[in-house]
Amino acid sequence: MISLEGTYYDGRVPVAVPARMEFTGGSAALIAGQSSLHYAASLLKVSPRIGTADRFIALPDNGQFQCSVHPFLDSLPQASPSEGPVAWLEEKWGIALAGIVITVCLLLAGYFYGLPFAAERIAARIPIETEQALGRHAVVWLDEHKWLKPSELDFQTQRDIRDGFDGLLGGLPLKSYCQMEFRASNILGANAFAFPGGTIIITDDMVKAANSREEVLAVLAHEIGHVELRHTMRSLLQNSAVAVVAAAVTSDAASLSVAVAGLPTLLAQTKYSREFESAADEFAFNLLKQKGYSPLAFASLMERLAIKYETDEKTFVYVSTHPVTEERMKRARAAAEE
Amino acid sequence: MPFCPNPDCDHRRRLGEPAEFSAGVTRCSDCGSILSETAPHFETAREPEKAAGWTCPQCGLINGVDLSLCSCGYDLNRPVSTSSQNIENVSAWHCPQCDSIHYGNSSRCSCGYDPGELLKPHRKLAVEFHGSSKEYFRIWIVNLCLTLLTLGIFSAWAKVRKKRYFYSHTTVDGTPFQYLGQPIPILKGRIIAAAAFLTYYASSHLFTSLLPYVFAAGAVLAPWVLVRSVAFNTRYSAYRNMTFHFDGKYPDSLKALYLWGIIPAFFLGMMFNWWGKLAVAGVAALIFGISFPWWIRRLRNFVISHSSYGNKKGIFSATGGQFFGVYFRSGLIMAGVLFVVGLFSTLWIASITKKTMLIGWLAAVPMYAGYVLAYAYVQAHSSNLVWNHTRLGPLRFHSTLRGLGMAKLYVTNALVIIASLGMLTPWAVMRTLKYRADHMRVLQEGELTEFQGSDASAVEAIGAETVDFFDMDLSL
Repeated sequence: MISLEGTYYDGRVPVAVPARMEFTGGSAALIAGQSSLHYAASLLKVSPRIGTADRFIALPDNGQFQCSVHPFLDSLPQASPSEGPVAWLEEKWGIALAGIVITVCLLLAGYFYGLPFAAERIAARIPIETEQALGRHAVVWLDEHKWLKPSELDFQTQRDIRDGFDGLLGGLPLKSYCQMEFRASNILGANAFAFPGGTIIITDDMVKAANSREEVLAVLAHEIGHVELRHTMRSLLQNSAVAVVAAAVTSDAASLSVAVAGLPTLLAQTKYSREFESAADEFAFNLLKQKGYSPLAFASLMERLAIKYETDEKTFVYVSTHPVTEERMKRARAAAEE
Repeated sequence: MPFCPNPDCDHRRRLGEPAEFSAGVTRCSDCGSILSETAPHFETAREPEKAAGWTCPQCGLINGVDLSLCSCGYDLNRPVSTSSQNIENVSAWHCPQCDSIHYGNSSRCSCGYDPGELLKPHRKLAVEFHGSSKEYFRIWIVNLCLTLLTLGIFSAWAKVRKKRYFYSHTTVDGTPFQYLGQPIPILKGRIIAAAAFLTYYASSHLFTSLLPYVFAAGAVLAPWVLVRSVAFNTRYSAYRNMTFHFDGKYPDSLKALYLWGIIPAFFLGMMFNWWGKLAVAGVAALIFGISFPWWIRRLRNFVISHSSYGNKKGIFSATGGQFFGVYFRSGLIMAGVLFVVGLFSTLWIASITKKTMLIGWLAAVPMYAGYVLAYAYVQAHSSNLVWNHTRLGPLRFHSTLRGLGMAKLYVTNALVIIASLGMLTPWAVMRTLKYRADHMRVLQEGELTEFQGSDASAVEAIGAETVDFFDMDLSL
């Protein structure tokens, strides 16, 4: 016979009554003060084990008995059977240590390999048309808010570059989506962008900063790389996955979630961004060589821009969206020599 | 002048002196005795009886006899020297309901709180949190690991396990709470929430033309989500074999959320660019910001007054003005910090010759500190406001959170979590729950038997009922 000391609650009033339960064979008896009640043990329901907290036995007549943990309670019918194995796992330090190792490995493997791999496969299955509305909205918004203004380049320069651009596109799978536009911008300086859906915008300042048509085409080849490699969709997928996982892992410490989850999320997302930039660079170098241009043009333009817009980018290597310029130039030169 | 001759007159009990009346009065208003014309002489002098309570020498609050710790932190058992106390403070008292401090003779707070009410006979029910960081660490890591391994499906079990741990280690009057939620309804809720989130995400990032419809659907569903999630959490929380209950319905919820129309109008305006002009947008934001505290009060009132335990419904008495006070003071904190930071960083940056981007980042750190302070202030004081104005049958609550204490807790937690690469998250969670329990008191005025359970509220009844399709947890 097993006897457990505890407390009885009748479910009518929230008053604690000291009580005892005795189990013999298949029957259970509740003894509270003078009275005693008898039940079949198979009709009882025991609350799940959680840490060393007290457990509750629900009685068939709507009463409840509370007592401290006892191994015998696991042999009674359980209120939530699926939690039994989880409770068992939670009680072992060895398993907790294994849990740390597995969690860290899963997060790292998912971050470095799993997520980029999955995003690439999924992006390839989503037609690029789904992005077009988004890209169009962005360009219209920038036009309306005067971030972008009509280009002031003369017609001949524009046509020269456009011809070269069409030459670069020849034979690419997504060439019908790539559309180039010229814009002037006081705010964005010498810049070029690939918008979702394939619109590529190059600023007048960028064209003026370039010494030759070849240098402009090098920049455009980089932007074509973003479109061809579906970087918009992939970064959308990867960044949202990172945000969801970061939120899930840090949800317990949510009171200062910006401070706790923000930094790792920023680090993870900017690393993906730098990888996309490097991949677009690689794509550009191959495309340029294939069309008979030299990647050296890319290096020389980068160098000139770096001198013009002197920044302390090395301080922010790990939170920057672009790789360090020096690295990009080095790789362009290496590509030219191959 | 007539005097009351009765030596046991209530007036004499209170003040030690016989009652004195103006000429023409014949009977004592306190005990009804016929008055005598001369001052009576009593054999024994009577000291006025002490009030059933003690006055805190630090803040002046009158505390019940069974409380030994005042809400200002003064401990009757370990009194500190009061000689260093400001004289002004001695005559001041601190209203535990609205947190304002009153000086001098005012015996009633402007919020309606009467310190004399504390003198009603009451019993303090201890609120304690017994969680252990080591135990919770194992629960946390095992559930996190399984959640990642199952690509999130296990998160429903993880939520149940964690909630069970928090509930069963929080005791009131020695009895722990019981969480009765099951993983499957939570999983159902999570799948629906994930689908809703995906729809929103896809429409806001890709199919922007669908966004207004998605918002409209969200606005229609929001009251329902509110009702379902509160109903789930009350129904599956039990104390002493009686579950809590929520009877709010969709129309009430709709009213509480949208009656004033300010919230939907503001967001509709943002969506359709009604507030295109800067001045219009400013006025819209101002109206929205000012009415926000009243909206929060409506929501709190909706939840509390429709929640019940043992047939006793919650009664909520905080006013929108009090909520406004909390938000307004937090705004002042934020503005004060911004002003000081702005002043010093301008001086500092001006003194530096080589300007780099790093400086801009460093100036953001104290600004973030200002945000944290204001945020902690709102968290602490709106929580105090809600609890201290809530009554449940014979129970009253007394929450004494402090903004600075909460800010300290948040900052140390964040630093420790970052420094330990997340490994000390369970420690931070346990610490936060313990802090909150330590600052909560439950006062019982009357008998707990006023709460009447029924067959439907018993824990056993929850397991036996057939679960309907919409029984799911939509809270995150």
